Amino acid sequence: MYLEEQAPGTIGAPTAEAALPKRPSALSNVWKFTRRKPLGAFGFFLVFVLFVMTLGTPKAEFGLPSLPDRPFGFELDSPWLARYGEEDLFYDPDGGLSQNEDPSFDHWFGTDNNGRDMYARIVVGARRSMFVGFWALTIATLLGTTVGVLSGYFGKWVDTIVQRFMDALQSFPPLIALILIVTINPLGKGDTASLMMAAFALGFVGITSVQRITRGVVLATREQQYVEAGRVIGATDLRIMFRYILPNIMASIIVVFSTGIGVVILAEAALSFVVPQAVPLGTSWGLDLSNSYTRIGTNPNPVFFTAGAIAVAVLAFNLAGDALRDVLDPRLRL
Amino acid sequence: MQQYIIRRLLLNFVVIFLVATMVFLALRIDSDTVVRKRAGSCASGNTDPELYEECVRNTKAELGLDKSILNQYGNFIWDLAHLDLGHSTFGNKDPIATEIKERVGASVELGLLQIVVALTIALPVGIISAIRQDTWIDYFLRFFSIALLGIPVFVVAILSILLLTVYASGTFLPDWFGPQGHYASLTEDPQQNIKNMLAPALVGGLGTGAVMMRFLRSQMLEVLRQDYVRTAWAKGLKERVIIVRHALKNALIPVLTIVGILLGSVISGNVVLEFIYRIPGIGFYVTAAASQNPDFPAVQGVVLTVAVSLVFINLLIDVAYGWLDPRIRYS
Repeated sequence: MYLEEQAPGTIGAPTAEAALPKRPSALSNVWKFTRRKPLGAFGFFLVFVLFVMTLGTPKAEFGLPSLPDRPFGFELDSPWLARYGEEDLFYDPDGGLSQNEDPSFDHWFGTDNNGRDMYARIVVGARRSMFVGFWALTIATLLGTTVGVLSGYFGKWVDTIVQRFMDALQSFPPLIALILIVTINPLGKGDTASLMMAAFALGFVGITSVQRITRGVVLATREQQYVEAGRVIGATDLRIMFRYILPNIMASIIVVFSTGIGVVILAEAALSFVVPQAVPLGTSWGLDLSNSYTRIGTNPNPVFFTAGAIAVAVLAFNLAGDALRDVLDPRLRL
Repeated sequence: MQQYIIRRLLLNFVVIFLVATMVFLALRIDSDTVVRKRAGSCASGNTDPELYEECVRNTKAELGLDKSILNQYGNFIWDLAHLDLGHSTFGNKDPIATEIKERVGASVELGLLQIVVALTIALPVGIISAIRQDTWIDYFLRFFSIALLGIPVFVVAILSILLLTVYASGTFLPDWFGPQGHYASLTEDPQQNIKNMLAPALVGGLGTGAVMMRFLRSQMLEVLRQDYVRTAWAKGLKERVIIVRHALKNALIPVLTIVGILLGSVISGNVVLEFIYRIPGIGFYVTAAASQNPDFPAVQGVVLTVAVSLVFINLLIDVAYGWLDPRIRYS
């Protein structure tokens, strides 16, 4: 009946748009991800919280572009996730510093040996961890991908030479290499170590693992037919690398980036814990931990909360990264 | 095989040469700051510029920085070929090679103990969780290993010490599992040595064991689905024989590579564990050297020693790999 009403020859005509399957909205994608990977979604939530913690005070030393004074209506002068500043000192009614207080309503995580609010310090410490994590991974992925793509794409003697250098780099154990780089402090002129230097050192140490993964993916991608097709129509090497290979290894790069941040945050904390003299001053989880660890007998609270913060941050990035890998690139072995 | 080993050895020497060159260059990037720091501590409290200049000259001569760069490089490589890593610039200026030799025992002992702990945990746990896939015990063990993987060794160590000092002070536990006041080597005082090593070996071993367990589980699952395992079942062999002789043997080969990779992280992970548990190994030495107005020759010596030993460990692992799995062809 319906067909009879149509003019002949229009049977195959495109149906109305409404009949097409609906494109899933971004929100429903998020919901689907949450249902399939609840742990991963939990990790992303924690990462989001950590990211919000970093928005409080843009300090000049972080090298961030200056933000407007009141984004989202919050004062930027103070860490607005905490009521106090990280250096604020608190006093008892009788005038003495309120040191080593237990957690209370006023000080959620208690106070440290200098009478400072631990919760505020952890909020501000998150900033340094995130800063170092993002910059180190940016450096590591940029350099590592370049090395990996060049080495994998050109192969032959380029590959041999580059891989020998990478072998040499890889035979430095990460933490010891970090200690070496930070003690030399090649970028920081003068005696103060800069935070960017720490990030650079961490990123530099990460190059080998990033390039190993990208090189592997490039070696597999290079033999694909569409790359061959590109070569046949006369695309230059540069064009093949950027337009044919790079888009196809993007998923792996994103996964490497996200799984690496947790490792870097941990490495930074471990580095500032074992050699606090060699890392830049400031509020950081690792430095706070090395400070409070010596007083573990009198006041274990700061140790507990700082170590807990490090564990939560590392766990968050690992969970988020693992879930991202399962979704984007399940075959990737890290 | 022989040819492969010879070629790898030659390549290893190239890599070691590159490592040495990198360390050499790294220390020359900013040698001015090094000299200034050293000279500052030599002329401490004295503002006389001439004395300072003399200090700078002396430090340069001491570090050999007054010669041309090629000359320095030649000397560096020559000393290295004679296993001379230079002298510490602090304390009684002992040769670094002997300092490292004295400390290497503790580090190696800790590393081996960790791998033993890791294997004793990973083998049974990995096998059980593979052959009882998707049962409550598998879920429980996997959750446990994910938790151990997620929480870094360094935090586990600190939290365990925290728990001991807060909740178990006065019992025998801190005495056995806490950081020790003094260290004794295995030959001097075995009981004290066990007290020293117990906690770091357990904490480090748990972390590495979790990685191995996950890897072993996935390998076992793969192997258990192979045809020859089905044949073994069909022949009516006992479950124990199939799991241990047929499946585990093949699943273990790739795990060996993980052991090799872990050996590297065991060494660097031990920096933190040795620091926390006060074990005078190489890791503890390097942190001490980096802390006190950096003792560059010491840091450099440790980096070189560890890097070179890692290069050879990797070679050994690769050779063992081919020995265990004859299907691997070296070309």
